[in-house]
Amino acid sequence: MPNIKITGLNKIFGDLKAIDDLDFEVRDGEYLTILGPTGAGKTTLLRLISGLTEQTSGTIEIDGKNVDDLPPEERRVAFLSQSYSLFPHMDVWENTTFGPTARGWNPDKVNIIGREMLEMVHLYDRRDALPRELSGGMQQRNALARALSADAKVLLLDEPLRALDARLRLDLRHELKRLAKAMNMTTIHVTHDQEEALTISDRIIMLKDGKIIQSGTPQEMFNKPANPFIHHFIGEANFIEGTLIRKENGHCRITDKANRSFRASQTDLSEGANVVAGIKTEFTILSKEKESDVNSFHGTVDRKLFMGRFTDFEVILAEGGMIHARLPSSIAHKFDEGSNVFVHYSPERLLVFPEPEGGLKAELEMM
Amino acid sequence: MLKKEQKEESIGKKFSALIAKKSTIKFWYGIVITFFIVLVIVPTLFVLTYAVTGWDDMGENIFTAPEPITPDNYHQIDIGNSTIGASFPAPDIIDVTNSTHWGLNVHTNSNIYINYTIYSLDDDNASHTHYYSNSSFSGAGIGWINISANESYNEITHIGPMFQNLTLAYADGTYIDSWESDVFLRAGDAKPFDMVIDALKVSFIIAIIVTIIDFIAGLPMAWLLVRKDFRGKKYIDTLIDMPLAVPTAALGFSTALFWAVTPGVDAFGSLNLTSSPFLLIILLHIVFSYPYMVRSLSAILHEIDTNYEVAAQTLGAPPLTVARTITLPLFRAGLVTGIILCFARSLSETGGTMMALAMLTPHMAELAYPMQTGPSLIGGWKHAGGFDPQLAFTAMLLVIITLILLVIIKIIIMKFKMPLRKVFPGPERLLSKGVFPKLKDASSMIFMFFILIIPSFFIFSFVFTSEATPVDWSPFWSAMGFSFLVAGVVTILNLIFGVPLAIYIVRGKNKIMSHILDVLVNVPLIVPTSALGISLGMFWGSMNLGWTTLLVISAHLAFTFPLVVRNVAGALEELDPTYEETARTLGARPFFVFRKVMFPSIKFSILAGAIMAFTRSLGETGATLSVAEEANTVPVYIVGLVRAGSEYYYSAALACIALIAISFLTMMIMKYIARRAE
Repeated sequence: MPNIKITGLNKIFGDLKAIDDLDFEVRDGEYLTILGPTGAGKTTLLRLISGLTEQTSGTIEIDGKNVDDLPPEERRVAFLSQSYSLFPHMDVWENTTFGPTARGWNPDKVNIIGREMLEMVHLYDRRDALPRELSGGMQQRNALARALSADAKVLLLDEPLRALDARLRLDLRHELKRLAKAMNMTTIHVTHDQEEALTISDRIIMLKDGKIIQSGTPQEMFNKPANPFIHHFIGEANFIEGTLIRKENGHCRITDKANRSFRASQTDLSEGANVVAGIKTEFTILSKEKESDVNSFHGTVDRKLFMGRFTDFEVILAEGGMIHARLPSSIAHKFDEGSNVFVHYSPERLLVFPEPEGGLKAELEMM
Repeated sequence: MLKKEQKEESIGKKFSALIAKKSTIKFWYGIVITFFIVLVIVPTLFVLTYAVTGWDDMGENIFTAPEPITPDNYHQIDIGNSTIGASFPAPDIIDVTNSTHWGLNVHTNSNIYINYTIYSLDDDNASHTHYYSNSSFSGAGIGWINISANESYNEITHIGPMFQNLTLAYADGTYIDSWESDVFLRAGDAKPFDMVIDALKVSFIIAIIVTIIDFIAGLPMAWLLVRKDFRGKKYIDTLIDMPLAVPTAALGFSTALFWAVTPGVDAFGSLNLTSSPFLLIILLHIVFSYPYMVRSLSAILHEIDTNYEVAAQTLGAPPLTVARTITLPLFRAGLVTGIILCFARSLSETGGTMMALAMLTPHMAELAYPMQTGPSLIGGWKHAGGFDPQLAFTAMLLVIITLILLVIIKIIIMKFKMPLRKVFPGPERLLSKGVFPKLKDASSMIFMFFILIIPSFFIFSFVFTSEATPVDWSPFWSAMGFSFLVAGVVTILNLIFGVPLAIYIVRGKNKIMSHILDVLVNVPLIVPTSALGISLGMFWGSMNLGWTTLLVISAHLAFTFPLVVRNVAGALEELDPTYEETARTLGARPFFVFRKVMFPSIKFSILAGAIMAFTRSLGETGATLSVAEEANTVPVYIVGLVRAGSEYYYSAALACIALIAISFLTMMIMKYIARRAE
């Protein structure tokens, strides 16, 4: 039985359709991530589920029960906002036990829960501190303890790691999932960070303009994106616009406008269709020598951007056009700015999509 | 035992579930909004209906000159066996429109001394004194004062004498009694309409001048308080607000004593600089409006990121250029608030204005003052009694013009492009350096002390240096009791209904409704209180309730209500709604959220609103006078003392000081309670 079931959900603000006819389910105990660019309607969706905003139409069921008419406090859905919203005038203990106290539980029970939760997030020793005396990570953990102790079955996390610095963010990702799983909470985690979504989720729902454009496991989302937008959003991609010439066994052949020929992965599209083919920059291989006759092109390194573990390359192709490549920094020294290189696309990584309505450029725009 | 507890808990739960229900909350908000509309907004604007219902009335009483009354050429005052302090019947109206000769028939058996004055209005509504002389009578018998109309008098008889003031005294100067008669409108040709227009003109001109001075003097002071650090800044910060804690009636008394030539009274250090009512009223209005301007400007200055200024300075702009071209354009919003507050306060003020006018011309009826503002005219007519159409008309005009003007001010400031882009590198660099900034800071300080603080508290000099006269405290205490009753009830009602309304305005789901209420809340704040009082009197009077106390309470409720709502709404706007929302998803019901999450964050704003409402109610004169003349609050009592003559000034001053002390004390106690409760 699904824990959350959303049917035909709509939210309209004036002229803007923030949530556009959503249908999806979240299984009991699942860690679901809603991924999408800014303005996709992610936060609105969380607010609808928690009851902070009223939907224009559609229904939300939690545990098989319609909650449309229930106020937020009766939905048993704990919402953790971007800024954590720790009550500034209450200390860690009061914040953590806010939910049980508000529900009028007897003091012994409140004490047990409070202690248990604070020990779980390693904050029991700091229980007398005020939120402003805590570091960012501690505040995050305090907010989490507060949400977990609120007797909720569903945890809604709105970009919970956004305000933290990079290192802490990596650590807390796993902590977050561990706690949610330990408490057997159904979790919906909203983020615009694709890496975070890939690492943490059981399942990802990709949201754009209030619509679901794909959902699946992190592997499915990464390897089999449903359209060029997702392909580009989850890991950067290079794109080729062209025509599907011929379907061959296990792959297909595409010709672009400069009349270059590419071998790309299998597709259901028919021959002669206008298509867009894309490959993630990680799979765009650079080499000094020509290593293959297939999908190999000559170019010059225009710019090199050192990014730590990786180095990004901008390569200008001899036949025109610029592509990006991401190489591990350990081998980046082989290619200097201005040097001649060969660019290679492996055919099974070059994914084929029908040409988007309105063109590729519009499709890839974030807003 | 356990079972019982459980049962109680379930009842409690049921109850809290009931009051948390959406429909219950809606019902509550419905009551609050209805309260606001019915008890505050409708009564405030009720006077506007007079344009329809009073149309005929107006034609008769406003736009046409009144009929002259039958001449009564000789009037007899019998003061046969008088003793000091005996009271005499006031002489009837003496009309000289159609006579060339009139007089008083004085019947006395002691040596007496008579002062009499005749005034008239000319076409420009300037008043003229035709006679001011002393006659003395010695011994018993009948004396006559005969006054023949002289030439200059004849020239303006079509307007007629507007006022006679008669003072009797013994030959040694000991005062016996005086009378004022309110013949102002009934003899001669003066059209009430002209008087109203003149008074309103004076009011608006004064409000404009005061606002401009407030801005020019307030801006450097706000700058000093926000951007500079210096020793004693904390004290300056507190001093600025001091005049707000002094009831305006006391301010009027104090300020007039300090600046003006006040016949019959003097105090050590009094400057005696002017006898122009116009100048004096401007000086007075600056005292209580200046703090609002400084507060509004510094509030917004606080918000403006200094990074902009730093950036501009590193780009080579001298400080004055930076202030003018970068900072000033950023605080239009604060400017609008400041200007509207000052303008509305100046336009609205009654008590202090009436006090100051009374002190310039003692023993003269209000309506005879050489200058009137809109509120003082209302006060005068109300005092004279029987001028209902005129009052309604004046109040209506005041309300309409105020509302229109405030909309215009808002539009002008928001839309008008100030010529700020142009830069004058030479002069501005020069003015930003050396002695000029110091001069600016020093003059801000001097302005504050001389225009604000000393005039506000000059009353103490008067009390300490003038001769003490016996004071009857019992009427003061009964007035004080009444004032406290009104202010207390008003403050409690404000809290009960103002806080939820503020929550609705800021957090309400229905944005259009919130916005309308937000605009409406400001209306009683900008409508002059005396006009508001007339409006309320008409509204409740039309229901024939006749309870003075309730009438006064509802009047005070109307103009203090916005103070609480504005304070609380302002704090709520600053409060991130995610706190409340998070609390809701954690399982807290709305009332629990208010108590545990919202209230701790806004309690100081609630307290500030309550203190403002309480002290404002305690110090208000105009609304009280215009809603019910017989309502005896402390400011009304003090104004009454000053009107009665300079021999009561000492009592008035002591009453003022007592009122100031009690205002301060109340504030301290409320702050103390708040701190204890924390």
